[in-house]
Amino acid sequence: MSVLAEVSGNVTAIGYGLAAIGPGIGVGIIFGQGVQAIARQPEAYGLIRQNMLLGFVLTEALALIGLVAPFLFANL
Amino acid sequence: MITLTAPAHGDEFSAPTPNELFDLAPIIPGVEWFTKPVLLAVLSAVIVIGLTWAAFSKPKLVPRGVQNVVEYGYMFVRDQVARPFLGKDADRFMGLLLTLFFLVLVWNLMGVVPIAQFPVASHIAFPAVLALSIYVLKIYLGFKHQGVGGYFKNMMFPPGLPKPIYLLLSPIEFLSNMIIAPFTHAVRLFANMFAGHMLLAFFSMVGFWFLFEKLTPLGAPVGVIGVVMTIIFTGFEIFIQFLQAFLFAMLASMYIGGSLHAEH
Amino acid sequence: MSAQERRPEEDGRDFADAMWSIPSYLLAGMIIYGGIGWLLDRWLDMSAFFPIGTVLGLVLAGYLAYRKFSR
Repeated sequence: MSVLAEVSGNVTAIGYGLAAIGPGIGVGIIFGQGVQAIARQPEAYGLIRQNMLLGFVLTEALALIGLVAPFLFANL
Repeated sequence: MITLTAPAHGDEFSAPTPNELFDLAPIIPGVEWFTKPVLLAVLSAVIVIGLTWAAFSKPKLVPRGVQNVVEYGYMFVRDQVARPFLGKDADRFMGLLLTLFFLVLVWNLMGVVPIAQFPVASHIAFPAVLALSIYVLKIYLGFKHQGVGGYFKNMMFPPGLPKPIYLLLSPIEFLSNMIIAPFTHAVRLFANMFAGHMLLAFFSMVGFWFLFEKLTPLGAPVGVIGVVMTIIFTGFEIFIQFLQAFLFAMLASMYIGGSLHAEH
Repeated sequence: MSAQERRPEEDGRDFADAMWSIPSYLLAGMIIYGGIGWLLDRWLDMSAFFPIGTVLGLVLAGYLAYRKFSR
């Protein structure tokens, strides 16, 4: 079968690009919903803020794992 | 148009590479350091000095003309950048923060001004120098206001954690405050301007190539899309450029504020 | 807890502070513990410590950021 299309250059860059989609959407959802929640119930600010932080930390960690994944799987 | 005229690519369309966009030849042959970004940086500094001079050399009680515009910028920096992070020390640092904000804003806006069309901050040297000066100021103020030992103690040992955990967490605090923070401070501005310039160059190149260089019935719609996207992204870029100038000044004020008052 | 007595500007400042610091904390934790793991790997001629160190650093940095900024 003849080759129809090929990717040249470093494939891991594409991998990180794909891996950054999920955390990007996640951070957007966290802050969107968080701001909405604060607007609805300003008195629950402390609790909402705490959970927003937790969600942000976990999502950001995913994005950073994507950054090192190419090094982890380089010799597999 | 100087940067965006298509170099000889042969017959096929190929996207502009970072080398042709950012590795510019010296303006005067033989003077290696005097390139377009340097010229624009000097020009921006002159513009900022001239603007503030025109606005505040003879201030009037009822602002008119230039004073009105620059005063609006001053109010923005004071209320959004300085006061939330510096509190009662805000007025002491307004000169620095206002200069930073206006300088970075004019640097960035050079990316969409016709003829200039090169965001100065897309060469990492320029934001790196600004970030480095803020870093030195941050450490100096921290030593002055908290003492050398106190500064590191407040930075590396946040209260309220179990004792043995400090052994694991202090290196993270140290690295994040002393190395990663100034690095990201410079890189955030640089990367945004770099990517924005690449994007604009790519879309205008698509328009230029398919509508002027190789006009074919099949390629014309692609060229039209390229032109439309160039217009849309120019508007978007202006917003990003303003936002990045604001964030750069805001982070500077945040670091200064963190050095002035020990955290909690 | 003391959200009632605090002024809204102070809350906003702390929140902005946290949001800008968290990425650098996570990056720092990953670099330090991932780096230690990488060095251990080179020393012992293995390939297990680098991923373990990276994830451990992320977890520790996340814990630090969570404890420090959520009161």
